[in-house]
Amino acid sequence: MSKQGKTRTVEEINEKIRKGDAQVLTAEEMKKLVESSGVGVAFKEVDVVTTGTFGAMCSSGAVVNLGHSDPPIKIEHAWINDVEVCHPGAAVDLFIGATNMSVKQPFEYGGGHVIQDLVAGKEVELKATAYGTDCYPRTQIKTSLTKDDLNQFYLLNFRNCYQRYNCAVNGSDEIIYTYMNKLLPRLRNATYSGAGELNPLMNDPDYETMGMGTRIFLGGAQGYIIGEGTQHSPKNQNGTLMVKGNAKKMSPEFLQGAAFTKYGTSLYVGLGVPIPILNEGLAKKTAIQDGEIFTDVVDYSVPRRDRPKLAQVSYKELKSGSITVGGKKIRVSSLSSLKMAKKVSTTLKSWIEQGEFFLTSPVERLPTDSVFKPMRQTQEIPFVVSVMHPAVTCTENEEIRAIAERIVTKSVNHIVVIDGGGKLRGIVTSWDITRAMAEGKKALADIETRNVITAKPDEPLEIASKRMEQHNISALPVIDIERKVLGIVTSEDVSKLLGRENAW
Amino acid sequence: MVRILLRFNEELVPQPVTSQIILEHKVPIAILAAHVNAKGGEILVEVPDGVQDKIVKAFRQRGVTVTVPKLIEVDTEKCFSCGSCVALCPVEAISLDKDSTVKFDKEKCVGSPCSICVDACPARAIKSVKHTNGNSNQPSGK
Repeated sequence: MSKQGKTRTVEEINEKIRKGDAQVLTAEEMKKLVESSGVGVAFKEVDVVTTGTFGAMCSSGAVVNLGHSDPPIKIEHAWINDVEVCHPGAAVDLFIGATNMSVKQPFEYGGGHVIQDLVAGKEVELKATAYGTDCYPRTQIKTSLTKDDLNQFYLLNFRNCYQRYNCAVNGSDEIIYTYMNKLLPRLRNATYSGAGELNPLMNDPDYETMGMGTRIFLGGAQGYIIGEGTQHSPKNQNGTLMVKGNAKKMSPEFLQGAAFTKYGTSLYVGLGVPIPILNEGLAKKTAIQDGEIFTDVVDYSVPRRDRPKLAQVSYKELKSGSITVGGKKIRVSSLSSLKMAKKVSTTLKSWIEQGEFFLTSPVERLPTDSVFKPMRQTQEIPFVVSVMHPAVTCTENEEIRAIAERIVTKSVNHIVVIDGGGKLRGIVTSWDITRAMAEGKKALADIETRNVITAKPDEPLEIASKRMEQHNISALPVIDIERKVLGIVTSEDVSKLLGRENAW
Repeated sequence: MVRILLRFNEELVPQPVTSQIILEHKVPIAILAAHVNAKGGEILVEVPDGVQDKIVKAFRQRGVTVTVPKLIEVDTEKCFSCGSCVALCPVEAISLDKDSTVKFDKEKCVGSPCSICVDACPARAIKSVKHTNGNSNQPSGK
């Protein structure tokens, strides 16, 4: 190989694109080539590798400029198709946030759907109000608009394209609805997100070719990276992108509004980055495979910032449809669409091959050292562990009379039924005992409640308190993951503490 | 095969209703899902095409409430194949094919008594199809 063979420049690649002889492979094809022919051959033969991802990206939105009405209005509040839109600047500029929900159909229709409808050329209804000024006297307006009526309609996403993401499970006894979608109790399913080996950032993990000014595929049109995304965390392979593109040119196929039950609305965004193979190192990096990309299995039923990590799995396992956590096989499905991610990478490939898309060098690369910090909190909130106290317990073979005595001597209202190993079996209340007496029942088994609503020690007290209200009960046994009884928390404990806390 | 949903009240639970009907009409009835306790229950069964009316009538005569369950319908225009529904399906009626397209098998789907996938679809592409009263020879959703 000649010296020149060891590197190539973006300009050289663009010259080849112009002539129609650039060699472009999708990330999927690149992995196969490196596997069969080696990095050296792949570097020699390939100029560009196209990547892609298609997932729910909540920190997405669009900036629109409406033009002025007559008489003019300085909008204070505005709604498009009953979705409140933000008015962050001058008179008629609006920001449509993907997660803002329709006032009339919350959780079903939101900002993401408004963006998709506009992109699809549909007419949307704008309502706005204002306080009226000397220069902008109008106080309300109602009109219909399409994207052609807008002066600017730019997609402006401040966090897209997470390099990789958690795999979510639910260790609790109830179904939970999260941004990772519906999670069945007791680890009965798992969800994950991300394209793994097709993800743009995963194929250039040192961000050699990416940064401000990198031209990309965004929502079916050409767009740009404008810097690191919010929460960019490169040191642990959790990089993100901030991107922008002309939404008037985009396609509703690659920008789809989404609804997550009991969570909210979002926008699925198709995003692909072309990676110029400037050196052999990049040829090697773009050969990364799903089996080499790992993520944590996280229990989303724990309502804390740092949720328990139950296992580590590769994207290869995730894409296989099942993972193993603590010896248990769990079926797993994706939230992001692999089919669409592939379509993004193949569409981008065809644009480059047809000379419709040229590469750019970033004017400033993405940072590789930024850190994602937790929020600074000036007030701590109480957790279950801070108020729980030892539970008064009994076993199932005890007589009701003995339990009644214990209620009196310990002056409690709840007795937790445990087995020989200290694990939760049920609960009896003083009311249950009274009823047993009245009805002449003798056996504990006839009166105990077996389907016990419980709390975990590291839960915020407020959440445990809400659970008591929901089920109209006055105490929750506190248990660990193996259902061992650690203590009990009562509504009295809650009202004592929260009553005090709320008195600021 | 046609699917019907049988609802039993407290009095019917101890009686061998289903086996009596199988013996009487000499019809194979497959039980696909059953949730029965002392207070009553629901059984989803599959009966051969053409005998549905006869079987529905026989169950009703014995006091069983019979409905033909709603079926699940997927709007393939709306579906963008995220695959969220795949691992939720208890009967593995939903899968990803070679190009990662979501495939829905109506034959395997147990219909509205389950519906676990419906509210998990971010594209809202999955819907329960209209209810029927079980008197007609309703095709099983094809």
